[in-house]
Amino acid sequence: MFDPPIPGRHDVRICVVGGGGSGAALAYDLALRGFSVLLLEKGEFTSGTTGRHHGQLHSGARYAVGDRAIARECMEETLVLRRIVPEAIEYNGGIFAAIRDDEADYAPAFVSACLESGIPAREIPVTEARALEPVLNPALKRAVWVPDGTLDAYRLAASFLAAAAALGADLRAFTELVGIEVSDGRIRGGTVRGPDAREERVSFDVLVSATGAWAGRVGSLAGLDIPVTPAPGTMVAVRGRLSDLVLSRLAPPGDGDILVPQRGLSIIGSTQSRADSPEGILPTRAEIEFLRVRADELAPGFSRAPFHAAWAAARPLAGRAASDAEGRGISRDFAVLDHGAEGVSGMFTLIGGKATVLRAMARKAADAVCGFLDVEEPCRTADYPLPSWRAL
Amino acid sequence: MIEVNFRIRDGKDFVELSGGFPEDATVLDALETLRARAEGAAPAARVPHYRHSCHHGSCGTCGAVVNGLPSLMCLSRLSDLAAPRPREPGGPAVEPSHGPSGELVVTLEPLTRGSLVAGIAARPTSALEGIPEEYSYLRPSEDAGRASLPADPTRDGEKLPALDGAVSPPLSGRVRFEACIECGLCSAACPVTAPFLGPAALAAVNRHREKAPESAESMLALAAGADGAPACERHLHCSRVCPQAVYPGKHIQLLRKALAGRAQ
Repeated sequence: MFDPPIPGRHDVRICVVGGGGSGAALAYDLALRGFSVLLLEKGEFTSGTTGRHHGQLHSGARYAVGDRAIARECMEETLVLRRIVPEAIEYNGGIFAAIRDDEADYAPAFVSACLESGIPAREIPVTEARALEPVLNPALKRAVWVPDGTLDAYRLAASFLAAAAALGADLRAFTELVGIEVSDGRIRGGTVRGPDAREERVSFDVLVSATGAWAGRVGSLAGLDIPVTPAPGTMVAVRGRLSDLVLSRLAPPGDGDILVPQRGLSIIGSTQSRADSPEGILPTRAEIEFLRVRADELAPGFSRAPFHAAWAAARPLAGRAASDAEGRGISRDFAVLDHGAEGVSGMFTLIGGKATVLRAMARKAADAVCGFLDVEEPCRTADYPLPSWRAL
Repeated sequence: MIEVNFRIRDGKDFVELSGGFPEDATVLDALETLRARAEGAAPAARVPHYRHSCHHGSCGTCGAVVNGLPSLMCLSRLSDLAAPRPREPGGPAVEPSHGPSGELVVTLEPLTRGSLVAGIAARPTSALEGIPEEYSYLRPSEDAGRASLPADPTRDGEKLPALDGAVSPPLSGRVRFEACIECGLCSAACPVTAPFLGPAALAAVNRHREKAPESAESMLALAAGADGAPACERHLHCSRVCPQAVYPGKHIQLLRKALAGRAQ
């Protein structure tokens, strides 16, 4: 029975825009802190980037060499998610595989960066790695075990939404925010268009945009310029569960270097480009071919397995990239922007981030809201197992 | 490229939208393209609401009745719809319909037995209601002769203390999700009109019975009810439309056998 205590109620209405992972976790976090929450999602919940992401539960190993702080946060968050929403995670660990000589040379730096980030990575003998997952390329030169896993992107987010709903949050799918009302420099409310296309005015005291790659659009409703770059990535799934462990290339983050098992599928990803709009992005044939070739390097035979599906999702990179190459250089970190100084007091935008750290993203945004309202309420979302997504 | 005329249910009417799409595009890809194209357009030109999330048949949200057959739109390729295909579960394959200019006609309607939100967006609520609360979504993954998972410091109880009220202890060996994605296609295809838990819920009841022998009796009691296995009329449409090869009809049959064995 999901019944966490709510210590005190605050007479403040907070509008969360975006029903993806971060909006879902934020609605729950704010409801648990005793706020009245209205969540708006223009399509179905998780119909943006969240549902389409690769499905990797990141231990942080992928990011450790580049950024110890992000890696450490991933490790902490995977442990929390494994406790509060175990039913949405296939936790089997992962292997970083060196196929080329330069990848083998990368192993020591990789392992020490992981250890410095609190990730208990360790090199395992090549024979042990291939006994764990015989599908690994026989040319395997070195292997590192890490605590990676697989997420069900939809059920993870839907569990947070179900928790928010159980605490009384008003969650509205197919309801788009089409106008923001600001007077005397403060946000007062907005106009929403519901599933029946009727428009309605709603009041709220605070607005947090958790719209990922769509943050620019929501910001523009208040005349704000939000620095976010939609960066689409393509994934390809074949039928057959080639491994239980997540398989990654032992190399700095690149394209087509992660193979994630999920149910009866194996999914290779990703690519990275940049787009002006996050809507209607479809994979190209060239990307699909490229990914199949890259997958064969990790697990020969991937491309012979029956093709199942290919799709693309727009990552919400925080910042602006003029080119694809610049996009890879943008950090996967997240930030909360307070638009008070721009004349829209009470409005915040959550930018950047990724699925594994959705709860930490929500905590940071909810902390910013509490700071703005001068309310002291700690984050407690790590303390309770979430209810089933079926309750949503 | 393939020219398609989509007829999409929106309340009492159909909204008609046309376009050319790659043959390997799915119905969902096409809807996404049409929706992006209609951004900022007048309401009449907009694509009626539809559900979607993962785009690869894992979330189970994008079910719709596609040319008469309950299907996941993300796995329905336009090239497949251009070939002969049944117009109802268990029906014979029928040539596709074409419009006056030779364009393929694809009719999209919401799944029945769901809660309709708008357009063709229907949530399969009734299909999920009968899924037992104690049923775990995880199951052991077949090791297929592979080595056991190695020592894992993050499984240490101090790093991962159990929370009060946690549903079930996490499995320690290789795990994976159950195959059923709870999409509701089976319930939408089932012709039974009497009160019925439905194929998805009974499949979950049987899976839980198999995985948790201590619950076998309570699961069989659920299956024995008038709205349980006895309500199934063996049309097997559930197994025909299941996108995950769960074969709910097989699970219902296994429940029947177990019930018969218990009665003896």
